[in-house]
Amino acid sequence: MGINFLATLSHYIPELMAIVTMMGLLFVEACFKNNERNRLYLYLVAGIGLLFTFWSLGAALSTKPLFIFTNSVTIDPFSTLIKMIMVLGCAGAIYLSADSEDIYSNLKAEFAIMAVGVLVGGMLLASANNLLTLYLGIETLSILSYVMSSLKKKDDRSSEAGLKYVLYGGVASGIMLFGMSHIFGALGTINFSEMILLLNSSDAGQTGILLVSFLFVFVGLGYKIACVPFHMWTPDVYEGSPIPVTTFFAIVPKMAGIAALVRITMGLFGEEQTILQISWVGVIQVAAALTMIVGNVSAIAQKSVKRMLAYSSIGHAGFMLLGVVVVDQTGASAIAFYGITYLFMTLVAFFITGYVSDHYGNDHFERFNGLIHRYPVMSIMMIITMISLAGIPPMSGFVAKFNILAAAVKKGYFTLAIIGGINSVVSLYYYLKIVRLMVFKPVESEEAIAGFGMRNHVVVIGLSIPVVALGIFWSSILGLTSGAHLLLP
Amino acid sequence: MSGILNWILWLPFLGILGVLLIPKQKESAIRWWSVFVTAVTFVLCLVLYKNHDQADPMMQFVVSHPWITQFNIFYKLGIDGISLPMVVINGLLFLICSISSFDVKKNLKGYYALLLALQGSVFGVFMALDFFLFYVFWEVMLLPMFFLIGVWGGENREYAAIKFFLYTFFGSILMLIGIIALYFAAEGQLGAQTFDMVTLMGGHFTDLKVTIFGSEFSFEKIFFLFMFVGFAIKVPIFPFHTWLPHAHVQAPTAVSVILAGVLLKMGTYGFMRISYPIFPTAAHYYADMIAWLGLINVIYGALCAMAQTDVKKLIAYSSVSHMGYVMMGIAAMTSEGMNGAVLQMFNHGTSTAMMFLLIGILYERSHHRWIVRPDGSKGFGGLYTQMPKYSIIFIIGMFASLGLPGLSGFISEALVFLGIYQKYTTIAVLALIGLLIGAAYLLWMFKRMFFGEVNEDCKGYSDANGREIFYMTPLAIMVIVFGIYPSPLLDMMKSSVGKLVIDLAKFAN
Repeated sequence: MGINFLATLSHYIPELMAIVTMMGLLFVEACFKNNERNRLYLYLVAGIGLLFTFWSLGAALSTKPLFIFTNSVTIDPFSTLIKMIMVLGCAGAIYLSADSEDIYSNLKAEFAIMAVGVLVGGMLLASANNLLTLYLGIETLSILSYVMSSLKKKDDRSSEAGLKYVLYGGVASGIMLFGMSHIFGALGTINFSEMILLLNSSDAGQTGILLVSFLFVFVGLGYKIACVPFHMWTPDVYEGSPIPVTTFFAIVPKMAGIAALVRITMGLFGEEQTILQISWVGVIQVAAALTMIVGNVSAIAQKSVKRMLAYSSIGHAGFMLLGVVVVDQTGASAIAFYGITYLFMTLVAFFITGYVSDHYGNDHFERFNGLIHRYPVMSIMMIITMISLAGIPPMSGFVAKFNILAAAVKKGYFTLAIIGGINSVVSLYYYLKIVRLMVFKPVESEEAIAGFGMRNHVVVIGLSIPVVALGIFWSSILGLTSGAHLLLP
Repeated sequence: MSGILNWILWLPFLGILGVLLIPKQKESAIRWWSVFVTAVTFVLCLVLYKNHDQADPMMQFVVSHPWITQFNIFYKLGIDGISLPMVVINGLLFLICSISSFDVKKNLKGYYALLLALQGSVFGVFMALDFFLFYVFWEVMLLPMFFLIGVWGGENREYAAIKFFLYTFFGSILMLIGIIALYFAAEGQLGAQTFDMVTLMGGHFTDLKVTIFGSEFSFEKIFFLFMFVGFAIKVPIFPFHTWLPHAHVQAPTAVSVILAGVLLKMGTYGFMRISYPIFPTAAHYYADMIAWLGLINVIYGALCAMAQTDVKKLIAYSSVSHMGYVMMGIAAMTSEGMNGAVLQMFNHGTSTAMMFLLIGILYERSHHRWIVRPDGSKGFGGLYTQMPKYSIIFIIGMFASLGLPGLSGFISEALVFLGIYQKYTTIAVLALIGLLIGAAYLLWMFKRMFFGEVNEDCKGYSDANGREIFYMTPLAIMVIVFGIYPSPLLDMMKSSVGKLVIDLAKFAN
């Protein structure tokens, strides 16, 4: 091949950083006794490691996009931006795990290690440029996720979550692998760059096989994104898992899956109007509409805030799929913008829910009753986030939805845009439910909530600032996301 | 002078900072600070009125800064003769409401902060000349309303607050899609994507076609409907009015005043500023529909009002009826009709604000609002002998909303009738029935509440006190003065409305 691997390796520094972080965490876990002070070292290592990962990703944003490792991995601004979102999501989840009682104190190190491990898988998935790296990414992501969801060993629901996840996940990746093998059989290549040439010249017989095979691939990805009808596992897994794990699941695997879907859709099924292209985009259109409707409508009836947030995250995935359907750069940029705002909103919502549920031992809606009278600052942050999630200006969630709707309307997808809009109205109902309980109801108990200490106040406020600021001063972030080009195979 | 709109718009928001900085215990400081802020804002509104060039129909005092350059979004404000009356009445009613809200006891700080936020965002709606900015203010306004109704409202406040929020949000989402579609359509028709309302005006989209739900539609006709739903919910036009009685009955007095006095006008203002100038062909196409809907509003609202036993609900339905006149005036698209519509928007703002304030004053004493209680007994009776001063103000307010000649409501309704008669004679004649029912329910209500035997619990109601008379007087004076001499108002709007009518007439088929 004559390719200098060491030279290309320099483009892979962020991933290597993450792997080094993971090893550092393993080292700390293995060599130090598990106590309060040593755990500080753990978070120090995790923090520094992820900071460097983030920083090197930031440096990579401006480099020229290219393929590395014999065309199997793409490094482009879009994947880098998605990776930055994932790194922040991972850091947020690890921070939440530090205080959370949902994670046993002797397993906190394990949680951090596995989270960084999933992150590595997600980073691979986000820049996968052939079927093998795609599958590797998904599996690295999945296998560790299965363990993470059953981390609360003594809790039945957590074990149930783990089992459900592994069963669904196993079946989904099996189907995906089956589809991939047929694609390879039909085209004789696993590389996207070569596939695109063959796809456009495939004959009718091949088209039939490819259609089914790509549908199978979509099953695997759809399962990671939790899009309807492959979402069945999500509420149970999200509810059963410890809260930091749920936070993590809502951000990292989802963003990675969406990034992979964007790459496949834009790369393989771009402008050319073939039968394959029309059916692939058609499938995603239907999936997007269903995902939004099912996610938001199911969220209404929930009694647990975590479960409600799980369904709402399905709804948000559906909204992001709207950006995939557009199949162009505006759609991809809108998804990147959505991802950034979704990251901050999800973190704030889960942080506050996590602290409340840690205190009461459950996360029923009633636990939020009259919260504003006891913790006004935290409650206002929660209100801001809920309003932003529903997509009401001047919050960032509105701008994110505006971007996606603009991309969809530009291409003439009015029906989908209307479905998306109406779903925002539906989602407003259940987001307002929390606001209503916090503000309109009398205080339930006067006990102090341990999680709402000074430090967490600072962190939550810090995370809420972008939720508001990106809704008003979004010009600069828009510059970043609209520069998030994909390097297409 | 050029930055005055900035000041009017942002003063209320700056005022919020002050409210938040004053310690919770100093209640009267919070009250007086809010009065001060709204008073300064109102004075600025008057300065604006003074400096407004009435001969110029175009946008004045324009402020424009780039906001989001990638989407060509501008922070652009400006007023003309149509928005200026709305800006002035917004300034006035909020000043009156901050004085009338002295009775509020619960969490004063939050109350005044939200009230000021509401005022600022409503100013934004009436001043914005950029569609995106308009939409942002249009939505931001919902948040303070939601909390004001939900926290300080009556028994069933949560339901009313949620219903209000969801309804309006549903309407505005369709509007948002319409706005985005316009933005992209502007590239083909005008050469550049833009959210600028003034640029978009003038019927540039007449010949454009668009495919929705798999079939081809005229761009104007379909997106006029999108916008229509958004504005119609706000007005509210039948059958989108069902949120209004709940919101009104549950809302605290000041919020009812604002809701009826200003917020409803945002819907009709939307028609005059956005739907009609941007989609003139569709405006003519749907004129019949809107005129008939206006008529339904007038008669249906009046009939509903007649059936009410809760006096606040009665006035709420009378608002539905009165907004019907505005819609009819707009639909006529004649000079008289349009002028009458804007005038009615202003006059209804003063007269209905009076009614809601008066009911609030009464509620302070009685703690109920039943004309006839659910068990059939009388809720009020012989109030006239107990509260003579109060009754006199009530009579002025009631006759103003009834449309008695000599008071403000008459002028605007007469203009609307003049306008509508030229085009839709049948509707004009039928609408007279609404006028008749209007007189009937108001007089009947008055008879039941103020005349007759003095009710046992009405004994000992104190008459209106100095503060109450103080904030009712300006409204009462305005109702009388503008009933006799409406020229200051008509002069203010004449040229802009005239331009709108001429522009629309070009597209008549």
